[in-house]
Amino acid sequence: MDAMAISRTALDVEWQRLQVIAQNLANENTTNAGGDGPYRPLRLVSGPDAGFEQLVDANGVQSRPVGVRVVGLEPLADGARRVHDPAHPHADADGFVTYPNLDRAAEMTLLIRTSRAYEANLTAMTIAQQMYMRALDLGRR
Amino acid sequence: MMGVVDPVAARLAVPLTLPIGIGPSPAHAAQGVGFAEMLQAGIQAVDHKISNSDVLVRNFTLDGSVPIHQVTAALEDARMAVEVAMQVRARLVETYRDFMAMQI
Repeated sequence: MDAMAISRTALDVEWQRLQVIAQNLANENTTNAGGDGPYRPLRLVSGPDAGFEQLVDANGVQSRPVGVRVVGLEPLADGARRVHDPAHPHADADGFVTYPNLDRAAEMTLLIRTSRAYEANLTAMTIAQQMYMRALDLGRR
Repeated sequence: MMGVVDPVAARLAVPLTLPIGIGPSPAHAAQGVGFAEMLQAGIQAVDHKISNSDVLVRNFTLDGSVPIHQVTAALEDARMAVEVAMQVRARLVETYRDFMAMQI
């Protein structure tokens, strides 16, 4: 896998991570997501895009560079935030409404990190492309 | 301490090599493929990249389901492939001219 293909997989992953963070922020006040309680903030989990035999190859040292892929979406075990609001349509018998316990600071931090990772991979891609084009200049007359 | 295998040292003992390029070509591949076939396969690969970027641009403008970096990366891929093809063509034409100008 060449450097440009690796960076491209990373761009895809970071793009999807951004989508998940945007979904978390958008559902901050969702009290009833599809009928089963409040929305649960999600985290995108990513890992190396290698098969099992490749990962255990050569004593666990990967013998060739691979890209990254989305492993899955995991809900955060953060619990819920309960607010007393008896007039709310989704209030329970005690008059409490359950909101997702979204950590806004953590989401913002992850947002910035995602953005920086995206930029870093774009830079790596640009450098790889420059090296490719410079090598093409070899022997040009 | 002496009898214990250091896991880090054991790991580093495995030579980590990154294979680059196609390596020594197998004997059967070298026989049947001529230069014309190689050239044609290369041109088809370039054409495939161009049409691939074409499809991505169309999808991007139509519904926006394609991330923009995929579109620009495919366009760059196609541009570089065309550039390489042009280099091959330039060298080919140059060699042909050299041969034709040869005094026998």
